[in-house]
Amino acid sequence: MSLLDVRSISKSFRGLKAVADASLEVPQGGIVALIGPNGAGKTTTLEMIETLRSIDSGSVILDGIDVSREPQKVKRLIGVQLQSSSFFDKLTLTELLLLFGELYSRQVDPIKLLQEVELKEKAKSYVAELSGGQKQRFSIAAALVNDPVLLFLDEPTTGLDPQARRHLWGVIKRIRSEGKTIVLTTHYMEEAEELCDRVAIMDRGTIIANAPPQQLVNTLVSNGFTKDRIERLANLEDVFLSLTGHSLREE
Amino acid sequence: MRLTWKLSIASMKMFFRQKEAIIWTILLPLFMVFLFSFVSFDGFNAISLGVVNQSNDTAFVSALKSVKALKVYEGTHETELQALRDGDRVLVVVLPFTFHPGSSDTVETLLNAEKPQEGNVATLLVRRVLDELTFQQNVQLTRPEVTVETVNSRNLNYIDFLLPGILAMSIMQSGVFGVAFGFVLLKKRGILRRLLATPMKPADFIVAQVATRLVVLMAQVLIMIGVGILFFDLHFQGNILNLLVVGVLGGVVFLGIGFALSGLSKSEDQVAPLANIITLPMMLLSGVFFSRSNLPGFAHVITDFFPLTYLADGMRSITIDGASLGDIGGDLLGLTVWAIVSVFLAVKAFRWE
Repeated sequence: MSLLDVRSISKSFRGLKAVADASLEVPQGGIVALIGPNGAGKTTTLEMIETLRSIDSGSVILDGIDVSREPQKVKRLIGVQLQSSSFFDKLTLTELLLLFGELYSRQVDPIKLLQEVELKEKAKSYVAELSGGQKQRFSIAAALVNDPVLLFLDEPTTGLDPQARRHLWGVIKRIRSEGKTIVLTTHYMEEAEELCDRVAIMDRGTIIANAPPQQLVNTLVSNGFTKDRIERLANLEDVFLSLTGHSLREE
Repeated sequence: MRLTWKLSIASMKMFFRQKEAIIWTILLPLFMVFLFSFVSFDGFNAISLGVVNQSNDTAFVSALKSVKALKVYEGTHETELQALRDGDRVLVVVLPFTFHPGSSDTVETLLNAEKPQEGNVATLLVRRVLDELTFQQNVQLTRPEVTVETVNSRNLNYIDFLLPGILAMSIMQSGVFGVAFGFVLLKKRGILRRLLATPMKPADFIVAQVATRLVVLMAQVLIMIGVGILFFDLHFQGNILNLLVVGVLGGVVFLGIGFALSGLSKSEDQVAPLANIITLPMMLLSGVFFSRSNLPGFAHVITDFFPLTYLADGMRSITIDGASLGDIGGDLLGLTVWAIVSVFLAVKAFRWE
C-alpha cells in the first residue's frame, strides 16, 4: 500500500478548474518531485492534501486516513513548508520551535531540530535576521517538529543562490536518509533529477506522468527524441560554482 | 488550556519585544496627557461664584450678575456648599434672611481653600458691588459686614477630566488598530496559514490573542492611573478594580471591531481608512478631550450612543467621582450591548484567509 494515495481530485475557483482529476501515488520512503509550469495546479494539489483546502471531488488517503474526513489526524502525520509563508516576528528560532511543538502537544528539542538543518548557531535569532536559505531551512525544521511521516516542501529552493540551493539539497537528502518520505515542488529540472526518486509532471490541473526521472528520460529517448545541440561537457552553473566556490555564503 | 496559555505567553513576548507597540499603546497616551498638562483652560473662564439668597433682595444678585468676571450660580445653602466642596465654585456668598444693601447684617462668604487668588478677587468684587449698591441706596453709610471663611475643596483640573478620556481612547485605538493591523499582517505573511496546517484549533489562537490584548489593556489602565497620580496630580477617587472591569468591557467592544475589520480587509491599505472612519468621530465627539456639554443637541442624539462615550464617561465617573459599578449602570449597559453587537460582527466577518 502506498503512503499517499490521491484519487482523481478536482478543485475549482469561481468556475475555473485549477485541479482536474489529478491522481498520484507516493510510496513509503524517498523523494517525489511535483513539477510543472506555473498555474498547473501544483500548490493547490498540495494544499488539498495538506488539509488547507477543501476537495471538490475525489479523495486523498494518507497512511490509510481520509484527508477530508479526518483532517486533524492527517495534520498530526504531516509536516509542511508553505510557499511564501513566514513565522511570527520577535520570537527566537528556539521559542518558535517550542511553540510549534506545543501545537502538536509535543515537547521538542529545538537544538536538535536546528542541528538537523544546520542552524544551531542561530538558535537565539529572529526569523527576520536570517538569510533566504536559512529561512527555508528553518521552515523545514518547523515542519519536522511533529516527526511527520510525510514532509511537503513547496518550492523550497526558489530564490536561493546556487550555493544555498545545493546546501539545502544536502539537508533534504539527509532527511530522506532518516527514512522520511518527501513530496516537493520545484521549477528546477536539475533539482528534480538530482534529488528525486520519482518525478510527477503536472499540467493543466492533472498529473500526466509519474516515474523515476531516468525512466522518463529513457522513454523520451527511445521514442526517437534528439537534442538540437550536443550536450556540452559543462554548463553555466558549473562555471559559476567553480568560480565562486561551493561553500555557502551566509553572514 | 495549556496550549492557549503557551500561545498567550508567546504573543505577550512578541508584544513587549515590539518597541512600536509599546510606544503606541503606553507612551503615546502618556505623552498626550503630558502635553495637555501645560494647557490651563481654567484661566480663560470667569470666576464661578455661588449665591445663596435667603432674603427678598434681588438688586444685589443682579448687580453681581452684571460683573463680567463672575459667573453667578444661585442655589440653596446645601447645593452651593456641595458645589464648593466639589471645586465647582471659587466663592459662595450667603445672604441672610434680613439682608438688603443698607442693612447691617453679616454676609458670610465661603472661600475655596485651593483657589486663594481667584477667591480674593471674587471677595473684592463682592465687597465692591455691595459698597456701590449701599452708597446708591442709603446715606447712613452702614453696610453689611462681609466675613470670609475658607472651605477645603476638591478641585478638579483639566487633567482629571482628560486622563480617563485618553485612557478610554487608547483602549479603543489599541483594540481596533492593534487587532485589525495585526491580523491582516498575519494573514498577508502566511503566518495564519502555516498555523492552520498544524492541529491547533483556531479558537485557541483567538482566545490567546484576546487574552494578550486584555492583559496589555489592564497594564495600560494601571500605568496611566499610576503615572497620573504620581506626576500629574490626578485626583483619583474610585476603585481601580471597577476601572479595570469597565476597561475590559470596553476592550471587548473594540477588539470585536478590530477582528471584524481584519476580516473585511485584505491589506493594511484597506484597514487604515476603515479603522479611521470608525475611530475618528468617536475620538472627537465622545468627550475625550472636551466636555460633550458643548455639543449641539442633535449631535447628542448620535454621540450619546457611541461606545467610546460610554467607556469614557464610565471611566471618568469612576476616576473623578469615585462612582461604583452600580452608579454607572447606564454606561455598563451601553457597553454590554455594544460588546454583543461587536462580537457578533467579529464572528460574522472574521476570516482566516
